[in-house]
Amino acid sequence: MSALIPRSDEELYRLMKKGNQDAFAQLYARRVPALRRYALHTSGSPAIAEEVAHEVFLQLMSPNSRYDEAKGSLESFLYGIARNLVRVVRRQGPVEEAVDRAFEHDILGELISNEATAALHQTLRELPERYRDVVVLCDLEERSYEDVARLIGRPVGTVRSRLHRARALLSAKLKRLNAPVEVYSR
Amino acid sequence: MTCAERIGELVECARGRGSLGRELSAHLPGCAACAERFQAERELSQQLRTIQARGVALMAEDTRREVLMRDFADLHRRRPARPWVFAFGGATALFAAILVGNVAGRHAARHAPVPALRVKAPRTTQVVTYEASTDASELSSDDFTAVPYTPPLAPGELVRVVHADLYPEALASMGIDINPAWGDEIPTEVVVGEDGIPRAVRIIGPQGGTQSDDF
Ligand SMILES: [Zn+2]
Repeated sequence: MSALIPRSDEELYRLMKKGNQDAFAQLYARRVPALRRYALHTSGSPAIAEEVAHEVFLQLMSPNSRYDEAKGSLESFLYGIARNLVRVVRRQGPVEEAVDRAFEHDILGELISNEATAALHQTLRELPERYRDVVVLCDLEERSYEDVARLIGRPVGTVRSRLHRARALLSAKLKRLNAPVEVYSR
Repeated sequence: MTCAERIGELVECARGRGSLGRELSAHLPGCAACAERFQAERELSQQLRTIQARGVALMAEDTRREVLMRDFADLHRRRPARPWVFAFGGATALFAAILVGNVAGRHAARHAPVPALRVKAPRTTQVVTYEASTDASELSSDDFTAVPYTPPLAPGELVRVVHADLYPEALASMGIDINPAWGDEIPTEVVVGEDGIPRAVRIIGPQGGTQSDDF
């Protein structure tokens, strides 16, 4: 029966460090999809998201990886790396262009022609990081407040209040975006 | 309960986390502010679901996985070699990939004595082809000295020659007799197997006599 119990991230990490490729592949399958989406929503660019997720795992498998189990979960560590990488990319500047191009040319562009949605996504990316992260993790990734609190190392109440504040900011933006449409439709 | 106090519940309901309680349901029809906020939150949730679906679709195809898995396999195949090489000052080390040719079949190789290495190409080139021999005595024929007590190289195994300046102690640990007159750093070439274990070493400085005295 014990073989059927899923291994924790930390167990997989320990095996991975000994060169176990299956453990590395499992860890990758478990954590990369969400990391890629997190990087997409915070950077706005699929290409940058790919780079970020790739780099997170390169750093993880590096012999110099700084993960310390005593300081928190591996998932939290991975998000920490991703967050820092996105910060670096955003500081470099041209992300906004990449974002716009991504919205114009992404594979779902035809399906989602709603300008309000595109503008909302841009507003989301422009939110301060503490608000942006909770919207991405709580609403886009549908993680519980408890999960997100562990991931970002803040109390549950803080996560909840940040999310509500962020949503108020986004709602206000959405209201402004929708207003001209209503005028024209009358 | 004030309208401000109701907003938390409103937002959670709009997010799909629970349904409106009786008190809030009764309040909404008579309060334009709360009704408007609830509608705005529901619209926001709808838009976020669109963004969410788009994100999932956009990132569905992972083109990096195979590359990373290969990198991981490579890292752990070579890994023992890296600390060893860097321990001797990686900045000056040059790597040359050399191929140990098949002499015996792979099946026999695992149990063969330490194969010797014979240089086929001139050693002035960076990439040198070596040919394995099952005659261990040939290991020293090109000034290489076999490192004792090391596992045999498999025919077809990719080995590297590392150019490194070694401390006398490092050479001594590989079974090389040290001349007390030699300096602190001795230029050498070390044959390293895929497992990172040095198999043979040759001194290429003035001590070894294979280079000019102004080396
Ligand atoms: Zn009210």
